[in-house]
Amino acid sequence: MSNSAPGVVGAKHWTVGRIARITVMVIVAAAFILPIIGFIAMAFRSQEGVLAGTDGFLGLGGVSWDNVVFSWSQINGFGPGDGGLFTRWVGNSLVIAIVGGVLALIAALPAGYALARLRFRGRKVLLFATLLAMVMPNTVLVIPLFLEVNAIGAVGQLWPVAVIMGFFPFGTYLVYIHFMTTMPQELVEAARIDGLSEISTFFYVALPISKQVVALVAFFSFVANWTNFFLPLALLTSNQENKTISIGIQELIGASPLFNATVAAGLDVKLYMPQLALATFISMIPLLIVFLTAQRFLMRGQTVGAVKG
Amino acid sequence: MWGFQILEAPTLCSTPELIGEDYMSSSTLATKGTEPPATGPRASTTPRRHRTRHAESRGAWILLAPYLALLLVAAAIPIGYAFWIALQKAPTLVDPTSGFGGFDSFITVITDYRFSGTFINIFSVMIVWLPLMMVGIVGLALLVHASPGRFGDTMRFFYFIPGALSGIANFVLWVYLLHPTQSPLAPLWQEVGFGSLKEIVTDGNMPMILTGMLFFQGVGTWIIVVNGGLNGIPDEIFEAAKIDGASAWDLAWHIKLPLIRPWIGYAALMNLAYGFQLFLEPYLLRQISSGAIAGEWAPTQLGYAFAFTNRNFPAAAALSIILLVITLSIGVVIVMKSGLFGDEKEKKR
Repeated sequence: MSNSAPGVVGAKHWTVGRIARITVMVIVAAAFILPIIGFIAMAFRSQEGVLAGTDGFLGLGGVSWDNVVFSWSQINGFGPGDGGLFTRWVGNSLVIAIVGGVLALIAALPAGYALARLRFRGRKVLLFATLLAMVMPNTVLVIPLFLEVNAIGAVGQLWPVAVIMGFFPFGTYLVYIHFMTTMPQELVEAARIDGLSEISTFFYVALPISKQVVALVAFFSFVANWTNFFLPLALLTSNQENKTISIGIQELIGASPLFNATVAAGLDVKLYMPQLALATFISMIPLLIVFLTAQRFLMRGQTVGAVKG
Repeated sequence: MWGFQILEAPTLCSTPELIGEDYMSSSTLATKGTEPPATGPRASTTPRRHRTRHAESRGAWILLAPYLALLLVAAAIPIGYAFWIALQKAPTLVDPTSGFGGFDSFITVITDYRFSGTFINIFSVMIVWLPLMMVGIVGLALLVHASPGRFGDTMRFFYFIPGALSGIANFVLWVYLLHPTQSPLAPLWQEVGFGSLKEIVTDGNMPMILTGMLFFQGVGTWIIVVNGGLNGIPDEIFEAAKIDGASAWDLAWHIKLPLIRPWIGYAALMNLAYGFQLFLEPYLLRQISSGAIAGEWAPTQLGYAFAFTNRNFPAAAALSIILLVITLSIGVVIVMKSGLFGDEKEKKR
């Protein structure tokens, strides 16, 4: 909030309204943050400590690195033979999230530019379709997509998932807004007068001023791809080797003695709450890295008037 | 939830006036803030002009080609194909032939004994969740906006953090919170008399559980969206109101709230559309409750069951089309009526 006046705490009087506002905000923040702290602590605890209930406030007293080492041996041991399914799933997620993100960029950058700065018949229709696709919940299309991929016999393979994720209308809209607001029409006209073709104008004039929006599109599409659940569930469940981490964690839940004693009894590894929490925590690390990398651009984006997402 | 919600939460950038200086300076343009002159349609149509228009149009389609290809593969073709499949006859054991079946699949879906139930389930959640969600979003956004400086920024960041735990991560977190002995809320659960997950995760508790999950993971992102709307209001309006003697409450209730109405409407409709496509949470809640929750609790789950359990692809396709029509209708209202997309930007061209 760079546009707001620098508020100095204590500069104003402690009115009833002010105390009430700050109290409510702090209580809500605590209700949001404490469960997450407890959950992360859970990833560092042992099943014994959890059962004994001796780990203190939010279980923070029971955290140790040894617990993580043990929990990891359980998570990594999951799967046929020596296990290793978990790392394979993380790898699959990386592949589809990155390939999907790159495809989204390749498609969104020129398309957003064309929608923003070029005139052609069908432009309004395409813009409308993009907005519509963007505001529509994407799980609605999963069954139709499954039928399509099934028709070409590619269910269980990673590439159709990545290609489908490459369709990212929100990215196209971000690029559209970017060129609408940062690249005046005059610049396009000037490039034309200088004899640049439409394609060259995009590559030599528009692309070099797109760093910010590239970061935004890459970030949002990576996150959307990484956390997508229903699409991989429908397309990849049939092939355990090709699962992504989001549906992989579902399989871990299904194998936990907490919820399914019969399945769990047949396994060498025991996945209790600390192990499930650790698996979830590890699965969030790539998102954390991407967030920290893109944060500079995101935070700037947030101060950009109403650019929100 | 950087995932879904963000995927659906567009950049609400209504006018270039809202764009901060730092953004502008990131580009190398000397012409910032000036209106691009209208060109093209009003210019005289000499042959040369005509040729330029033609080249421009061709260039546009070349630049659009990758996006159009993906649009076809990931949206248009599957939708068309689903339509076609939905009109086919489902092969059965007695009559393994397939062929044109007209609207039979739609009738199969609508008369399925679970069909209306799935929508009632969704509504039972929405009736609890949507009002709470809207009050939470607007209330917290107003509180954050009334707290300029570091405190407000920190709080806004805190509210956003749960949104980062999207989808399955949020779900596992909630399994931890709901567990009657291992949760930090365990004393509360035991007080109410819940001894096992199976007792907590019941049909009757679904509205509350899903409200908790969806609120927790969604509210932060939407606070930022609505907060963006609030930041777009010129400060002079607030100053003028303060000079007129408006209290912080008056300011929030009589000035800010009416001005951010488009964002509120937008948030309400997006969340409404989101409700129709719930899948992950009920699907996994069934898994952790040893089947206490029906496998076809939500409409999307029913579609999933048609496709994967019954292998009745025409019925699965028909149900998808029904959901598509509902969410598309909401989408059209959002795009056309929210006032956040469209015409004001068109004028800027």
